[in-house]
Amino acid sequence: MSAAANAKTELQSPGLPGSASKPARKWFLAALLIALLLFPLTNLVSGSMNYVLFMMLYIFMYIAMASSWNIIGGYTGYTSLGHNVFFAIGAYFSGVMLVYFKISPYLTAPLAGLLAMGVGLLVGVISLRTRGPAFIISTVAMILLVKITFDNWDYIGGSNGLSLPIPDLDVTISKFPPYYAMLLLAVGAVYLSYRIRHSKFGLGLRAISQDETKAEVAGINTNYYKILAFAISALFVGMAGSIWGYYLTYLRPNIFLTVLMAAQLVLMTLLGGKGTVAGPVVGAVVFILANEFFVSQLGFTELNIVATGVLMIVVLLFFPEGIVGTLKERGKLPQFLDWE
Amino acid sequence: MTQMVQIFLLGMSLGGVYALMAAGLTIVFGVMRIVNIAHAAFMFIAAYITYFLFQSFGVDPILSILVTMPVMYLLGVVVYRLVFARIADSSRFAELTVLLTFSLALVIEGLLGAMFTNIYRSTNPRYATDAILFGNFYLPEGQFYATLISLALLGGLWLFLRTTRTGYAIRAAMQNRTAAQVVGVDVSRISTIAFGLGMAMAGASGSLSSFLFTFFPGKHWEWVAILLSLIVLGGMGSLLGSLVGAFALAVSAAYVSYFYGPTWSPITFFLALFLILMFRPRGLFGKPMEA
Amino acid sequence: MLLEVQNVHAGYGAGPSILQGLSMAVEKGQSYCIIGPNGAGKSTLLKVICGLLHPRQGQVLFKGNPIHTLRTDQILMQGISFVPQDRSLFPDMTVRENLRMGGYILKDRKEVERRIDAVYELFPLLKERGNQLAKTLSGGQQQMLAIGRSMVLRPEIIMLDEPSLGLAPKIARQIFDSIQFLKQGGMTVLLVEQNARLGLKSADWGFVLDLGKMSFDGPADSILADERIQELYLGRQKPPRGGETA
Repeated sequence: MSAAANAKTELQSPGLPGSASKPARKWFLAALLIALLLFPLTNLVSGSMNYVLFMMLYIFMYIAMASSWNIIGGYTGYTSLGHNVFFAIGAYFSGVMLVYFKISPYLTAPLAGLLAMGVGLLVGVISLRTRGPAFIISTVAMILLVKITFDNWDYIGGSNGLSLPIPDLDVTISKFPPYYAMLLLAVGAVYLSYRIRHSKFGLGLRAISQDETKAEVAGINTNYYKILAFAISALFVGMAGSIWGYYLTYLRPNIFLTVLMAAQLVLMTLLGGKGTVAGPVVGAVVFILANEFFVSQLGFTELNIVATGVLMIVVLLFFPEGIVGTLKERGKLPQFLDWE
Repeated sequence: MTQMVQIFLLGMSLGGVYALMAAGLTIVFGVMRIVNIAHAAFMFIAAYITYFLFQSFGVDPILSILVTMPVMYLLGVVVYRLVFARIADSSRFAELTVLLTFSLALVIEGLLGAMFTNIYRSTNPRYATDAILFGNFYLPEGQFYATLISLALLGGLWLFLRTTRTGYAIRAAMQNRTAAQVVGVDVSRISTIAFGLGMAMAGASGSLSSFLFTFFPGKHWEWVAILLSLIVLGGMGSLLGSLVGAFALAVSAAYVSYFYGPTWSPITFFLALFLILMFRPRGLFGKPMEA
Repeated sequence: MLLEVQNVHAGYGAGPSILQGLSMAVEKGQSYCIIGPNGAGKSTLLKVICGLLHPRQGQVLFKGNPIHTLRTDQILMQGISFVPQDRSLFPDMTVRENLRMGGYILKDRKEVERRIDAVYELFPLLKERGNQLAKTLSGGQQQMLAIGRSMVLRPEIIMLDEPSLGLAPKIARQIFDSIQFLKQGGMTVLLVEQNARLGLKSADWGFVLDLGKMSFDGPADSILADERIQELYLGRQKPPRGGETA
């Protein structure tokens, strides 16, 4: 009974007044976007911003992916621990197109996204027959299945991987294309996440996460909703993969298909607050900066893995609602972060 | 034909160790509904302890079970109290356990990496490379001993569950948690014991694995799906089922390895896991694992 | 007074309070039936009494001593047994093993075996099926086993949550007959029943629970006769209740 009551109030919130006009938020976002668009130009002046640009495009990438993961993992409540499969598919598709057909990944990225989405649809049809722990396990199995396939697939380089031609650009502007591409993906993914949050579709997804049986009784085609959500959540991850692969210039299964990477996606969304629009963004920024801090302070990567694990445990045990969720619960969420 | 039988025997002789691994995982899932993604990582702790004892003091890997089982039991009790007892009442318990054990696995992987580096390791007692002949057939001596020890430990576990009061309480909690509470089983105490017991099993299988397989800290991920497939096949929470699952998959993997080459043998497990989850989520023996 | 519940508030996890200031009193040797709509808190009340759920506020007294902070095994030791809703057996244990689990908190194994024999006398059918797995029993037999299992401790109060659930009417009546039998043996019976008529007919006293409070109590036959209560709770073409989904 209480769950139903919760679901009711929860489901009503998007329509309530207050979400319509938030001038502070609007101005903040507009200013932020303009600043981000202009920022790379500083490198033309000083030429020493490459590291900062790299960090930023890396953060954009994870914002795009965490926001996408949030659609299935947050809104719908199906924790996927295998989303980097779509990342790898995007990367390899564009990589193959570049190596064998000489087409730039910037052109094939949208196709890579669609391909990831198609694969998501197929996988979703099968693996969304399960739920709870079984679903999570099936997504882990998906990573390992794809990894072992890629490892043994000679056309795409097998376990040795695929080397891509290095883009021929002056070093001051070499980070511009991936920077703008990732920024575009981040903005697109967040916008998509926002639109879904406020749509009838998003309402259905959240009904599923509250109580799937009741959602079904209420007339929601839960199967269709879930599968669609899973496929959509693969779209931007696939595109991010194709850009990132080109940026790295080499593709190897044991870089793209690690369980650690899947875990990081989940962790940053939980850290920020799953099921909220701003959560994955905040989570990605905080997580990657913290990670960078750990690496620079602790040095080698083993302790970095330990820190990731400990952080994840602390968040799960003590802040299951994440940064945005916890602040919101206490009524302390600053207006510029309230993107609901 | 002889060849087919030989492969069958090789598969069976690994099945015992797999069964031991699966038993630990099954107890933990059965009593507490914890899907322990970190089971292999815990095994690796034991494998490294065994490696350390072997390298530094020449302790026989099989004998070091006497160390790893109690150590892992205690570690299990501490971890259960620190982490899982806190979320026992959560409505998202199942999902949380997956994510928490996942995080634990990361912590273990990192710590092992920091202490032992990422180099491939294994212990190499004499029996690790010898073989025993049975007429026309042979069995690697290490696998043979490992399976014997595993079966002995499983027998001990069976007796414990069947005859002791605590054993009854553990089975009761596996079969119906509410009913166990109603008859006065202190489920939180039993859960702690069961988690410790599962970890002790992981300890023993880790020691045995140390001479059967090579390992490095990050390799436990490859084991995760193997372990999960063993118990999913048997139906999660069913001890007997997990044992049958273990032997069945060990034998299948041996055949896949023979026909398609050893690199493809792990895919037997992943594929089995994926297919079972899709088409018969309750496994061959058990109940559905949604709760 | 054998058992007193005083101003109890209780709920699950961080959720709202299901019981909101509930009080009731139970006397020795009587049988009680608690009725009320779905979600009123009937099962929650039984869980609070037997220690599966601790109240947020208020207290439960057994023979004048507070028991609401005790664990279930401690409350069982004092003499209160609970048979939960879905009968809650151990499906893969035999009938005898289930009964043995009924005496789990007793350390003396021989005594447990003696008491199992006593239960067998009460329910000869269980003896016949002693070596059968519990999951192979029929619904009525399972309910009998669940009751028999709680008898092993020879409790002073036995609480049953919807013993007739899912049983054919004839079987349900048999179960109620055996509950009557327990009462005649001097046991205090506390019953939650969805089939309110059947439950009230077999009880001395009735409690009507609604929205987490005791809304009415009185002799069972007078509750059965009360028109207003009939209208509201005894299901004479119950009007649809607003806001209820569960």
